[in-house]
Amino acid sequence: MTAVVAYPIGILYSTSGPYAVLGKDGLDGALTALAEVNEDPRYPFRLRPEIGDPGGAIERYERCADAMLREQQVRHVVGATTSWSRKEIIPVAERHGGLLWYACPYEGFETNDRVIYLGACPNQHIVPLFDFVLPRFGTDAYLVGSNYIWGWETNRIARELVSACGGRVLGERYLPLGSTEVERIIHEIRQKRPSFVLNNLIGPSSYAFLANYRRLADADPAFDPLRRPVLSCNLTEAELDLVGAAGVGHLATAIYFESLPSAENAAFLERVRARHGAERRISAFYVASYLAVRMLAEAIREAGTDDPDAVLAIVTTRSFPSPMGEVAIDRRTNHAALTPYLGRIAADRRFEILTGAGRPVAPDPYLVDYDPGALRAVVSGGRGTKPPLQLVST
Amino acid sequence: MNRLHLTPNFRGWTAIVLHRPHAAADAVLRQLERLGIAAHRVWSELGPEDAGADVVFFDADMGYDDQFPWPAGQAPMPLIALLGSEAPGRVQWALTQGADAHLLKPIGSGGVFSSLVIAERSYHARERLTREVEDLKGRLARRPQVARAMVMLMMSEQIDETAAFRRLREIAMASRRTIEDAAETLIENRNHPDVSRHRA
Repeated sequence: MTAVVAYPIGILYSTSGPYAVLGKDGLDGALTALAEVNEDPRYPFRLRPEIGDPGGAIERYERCADAMLREQQVRHVVGATTSWSRKEIIPVAERHGGLLWYACPYEGFETNDRVIYLGACPNQHIVPLFDFVLPRFGTDAYLVGSNYIWGWETNRIARELVSACGGRVLGERYLPLGSTEVERIIHEIRQKRPSFVLNNLIGPSSYAFLANYRRLADADPAFDPLRRPVLSCNLTEAELDLVGAAGVGHLATAIYFESLPSAENAAFLERVRARHGAERRISAFYVASYLAVRMLAEAIREAGTDDPDAVLAIVTTRSFPSPMGEVAIDRRTNHAALTPYLGRIAADRRFEILTGAGRPVAPDPYLVDYDPGALRAVVSGGRGTKPPLQLVST
Repeated sequence: MNRLHLTPNFRGWTAIVLHRPHAAADAVLRQLERLGIAAHRVWSELGPEDAGADVVFFDADMGYDDQFPWPAGQAPMPLIALLGSEAPGRVQWALTQGADAHLLKPIGSGGVFSSLVIAERSYHARERLTREVEDLKGRLARRPQVARAMVMLMMSEQIDETAAFRRLREIAMASRRTIEDAAETLIENRNHPDVSRHRA
């Protein structure tokens, strides 16, 4: 009997530690895709998972990645949630000629040759989100975030967009990672009465903020989510259990929502529910990580090798079917063209999709083709302009 | 809005990479393309037509003075040095050319964007300071004229020096000129009273 080739695939998510919920979704998405490939006779090889859990400790990523690429013959790593952890893995991938498949939304301004970017960059998250929100809710923003690069940079772009529309930033506050001391921020929001709040807090800070904002809305109907919503670029189904009823009515943008009405998504959900049970909510983190492994397997099959350069050449020249529709990777930037959607949190721990871009938006990680002035025309109701987000037919 | 919050954008810029054919030059060109910058490689000397570029990346390893069509340190655009050797002599040579920022070889997928932001910012800051220093030097050189004009005013209008300076400043503001220019005109008018009548 001839042994079937088994290619080792590194899966490097923090499934313990402060943002374990997101890492768990990434890991499960990758493992689901891996199992599907291994069960499928069309693939003349197996994929063998090599799983690492840095536990959210930044200093452990480099070592974990190095062990995978050096000792376990891994050439492809799917993983990293935060930008800091991605920056730790990149030098290792460069050193060993490996490829990192990064599947989370991030703040852009990077195009590394050793990374495939499957998450949204700013022209696919904050920019379309504001295109939708500013004309409808007003241009006076209140910005909150966890005190690290994601919040700083997303809020910087938000400030630029708001200012271009003649709006004001009524406040910008940061909390240390993990802090739940949100009372002062809520108090200030109540006083300043912004049109909306952009929430770039992560984990427990975000849950505490939404819970307190709910109490504020109960006390003062002016802060009902339908009038003054809290917006997010990274809140997904993965965290709706933790957010609970406090999240209902607030808005988020993502490149995938479980409620996406397409045949591909219905078939996908049927398969993952068979695996995880009907109660499991599926997020963009799960799907992007799933897609990473599916794309990788397809490219290995076509190339007949897991050589990263051969894989890269295939991945950047055509599109791949996925639960979020056809996805293509831009050859110049290694970033995916993705379709942003806007969702409103519903009572059943799902997002009700309000609008979507209608087609994939080309990645623009350095915001080269972005024009904050274009939003001004939309906000002021200029002729010949319309918001890029259109209603999704359900 | 504070300009510092704006996203730097180099779309539509032109760039020249002064480097022999090499992976480092290719890496810079690839990154420039992603930023919407039209760029090409040149070796070994820049021509006069290259003086219109918005930025020049130059090799500091094999570079030499005669490569540039302008005197060392007087480039009409931001310069970014591509350093392989960090030997002090080479770093010094790059500085003498007027490097506003640098990139260390080998060059991979990053670095060009931040070096552009830093180089553009420091080039313009330096240019603004140079203009300001020249302006101040010119005004300093005309201090004797200001003193003479004040003495003239003190004598002709029988006022003290504080009032004379105030008067001179009023004349300057009324004609939207510097105090030095106004002082020179006063002196000139006394020397050529015919002209002063026409100008009055």
